[in-house]
Amino acid sequence: MFDFIMGKYNYWFYIALMMIGFYAMIGKRNLIKKIIGMNIFQTAIILFYVSIAFKKGAATLPILEHAHGHDVHAIEASSYINPLPHVLMLTAIVVMVATLGVALAIAIKIYRRYGTLEEDEIIEAMK
Amino acid sequence: MVLVYGTLDMPDWGDPDSPANMHVSPYYITNTLEDTATPNIVTSVLADYRGYDTFGETTVIFSAGMACILLLRRQRKK
Amino acid sequence: MIDQLPVLTIIIPLVFAFITPLLGWWKERFCYPWVLLSLSLCMICSVFVLFRVISTGTIHYYLGNWTPPWGIEYVIDHLNALMLVIITVTALLVAVYSKKSLEQEIPEKIVYFYTVFLLQVVGFMGIVVTGDMFNLYVFLEITSLTGYALIAVGEDGAPLASFRYIIMGTVGACFYLLGVGYLYIATGSLNIADLSSLLPGLYSSKVILVAFAFFFVGIAIKMALFPLHVWLPDAYTKAPSAASALIAPLMTKISVYVMIRVMFTVFNPSFTIDMLPIADIMVGLGIFAIMAGAIMALAQTDFKRMLCYIVIAEIGYMVGGTGLANAIAMKGVILHILNDTIMTLGLFTVAGIIAYQLSGHRLSDFRDLFKKMPFTMAAFVVTALSIIGVPPTCGFFSKWYLIQGAVIAHCWMFVVALLFSSLINIILFFRIFEIGYGFRESGEAHGHGGEKALISEAPMTMLIPTIVTALLIILIGIYNQPIITNIIRFAVPAL
Repeated sequence: MFDFIMGKYNYWFYIALMMIGFYAMIGKRNLIKKIIGMNIFQTAIILFYVSIAFKKGAATLPILEHAHGHDVHAIEASSYINPLPHVLMLTAIVVMVATLGVALAIAIKIYRRYGTLEEDEIIEAMK
Repeated sequence: MVLVYGTLDMPDWGDPDSPANMHVSPYYITNTLEDTATPNIVTSVLADYRGYDTFGETTVIFSAGMACILLLRRQRKK
Repeated sequence: MIDQLPVLTIIIPLVFAFITPLLGWWKERFCYPWVLLSLSLCMICSVFVLFRVISTGTIHYYLGNWTPPWGIEYVIDHLNALMLVIITVTALLVAVYSKKSLEQEIPEKIVYFYTVFLLQVVGFMGIVVTGDMFNLYVFLEITSLTGYALIAVGEDGAPLASFRYIIMGTVGACFYLLGVGYLYIATGSLNIADLSSLLPGLYSSKVILVAFAFFFVGIAIKMALFPLHVWLPDAYTKAPSAASALIAPLMTKISVYVMIRVMFTVFNPSFTIDMLPIADIMVGLGIFAIMAGAIMALAQTDFKRMLCYIVIAEIGYMVGGTGLANAIAMKGVILHILNDTIMTLGLFTVAGIIAYQLSGHRLSDFRDLFKKMPFTMAAFVVTALSIIGVPPTCGFFSKWYLIQGAVIAHCWMFVVALLFSSLINIILFFRIFEIGYGFRESGEAHGHGGEKALISEAPMTMLIPTIVTALLIILIGIYNQPIITNIIRFAVPAL
């Protein structure tokens, strides 16, 4: 049982983080809080992916050591952690920042028009 | 709750024999030096094997920039 | 050169999109022909790709010459090629159409609008051709980001509508990413062809089930499947006419395409249908979507909002048809993707023309329009008949296949829903015809008496795409048999 928890607890952390972000997105009324919730949600997913990449044992960062000068000895796959999720997450982080930028631009536009960032007041003003 | 149910079957954290670590990635690790002459594996995957994703990502940044200009630019003469 | 065609269809608008802002700084008048040039080239490339796929079969294109699964691969089979042609034709028509309406609605931002427009077309095409799951996510986000921006420059409530779309759309895309992550944990691969060969051994794993659930929910948000459709009416109503004419036909249908890909290529059909109760759920959701869309469309007084609910009902046809799980229904679904794109394009272009002439899109604005704008109204009548499902327009044939598929699957509720929605569509459109012919007095009619003299037929650049769309509806209806036998028959996944 303890083994089981120790084996899986990283996944449960990311689920908790995701639920916090999700609640903030849906439950809060202020637009900026919604954006922050969205950011937390996306960050949780990124953490999840990165945590897949880890290998126990003698694994180290995915940068080959002593590699300059072409005197290459045999490279063992299990001595370096998995690089692929890191790669995917670099792209995902960029996408996340871009979405954040566009969301904030739209929030600025809303603020210029209505003077407030609370959703209730905006809906009132639109009527 | 559904999410927790789904994690029951996942491989343990740090398991070096999980399918994620065994299938595609070993090729990247072992062959990156001969294919790309870059010791940094993350860079070689990002820029070479999966360079197209990076290209798409650049497009994302460009679209976001254009989108922000589209949204925020005010008329100069009022 | 011919070998590079799949990538060219994406690169051409992308390069043109990069150059557009510079061109706009120099001389703004050149943007419009530039956009038309790029989309025409793109359309020619995609038609060539379609012919090549019909003659030689599936195209595999390795990007950067790395063999999959270590590199990214483009797989173009019949379904993809058809979708490419659909996207480029729609984009070209909307681009021709957009000039006048943009000048009226957002005069100071035309250059950047066209840039974001081209980028969105790039995003759509990238989703359709790719054979790699993560690449699909990247292009999905390009599409979404540009969509958010295009919608937010519309009329008064548009930024808030776009904001709601951002929140829901990002959740959808993140669920998709989670699904990809779960699949990666279980198999270690991201390539669609690779996944479909690795997955059958793992079907009893809970991870795969949860991955499928994530995919489905994420795509359902993007598709505006009832009950996750709440972002759609506000977003498409308040967007500028050119933007809604581009996004409304394409975004939801491409999400349907992604769903078909995930359900039938990544996960084998036998898994999707037999091991999960998903088929019944999909038919149920489809029925709800059709009913809800039809009923709420009846309650609208705004023309564009009514169209949005019709779109929601059409998505219900497609999802329900996919859930029916037999080959005829799938033929109907794929044909309906084609038809619905053209029909929605027709509807939204008409709405845009009316908005251009009358600065509004309420139903009461239709008064006496049949006399003043005969060509536009003729195109509108053709499109309306197609949505109702009258032969020989294309809408009849796709509904026919769907009904056949439903009868074979003994799913009588779906047949009832289809016929019910046809009935409601008849009521909806004949109500508009009545107002348009001046037979019925709608509430605010007398207030518009003074404007009658100013309304004339729509300008040429807006009129021609509308008429072309109407002609396409009839042509596709008449020629639907060759289309099915040459293209769609191969696109239907083996069931």
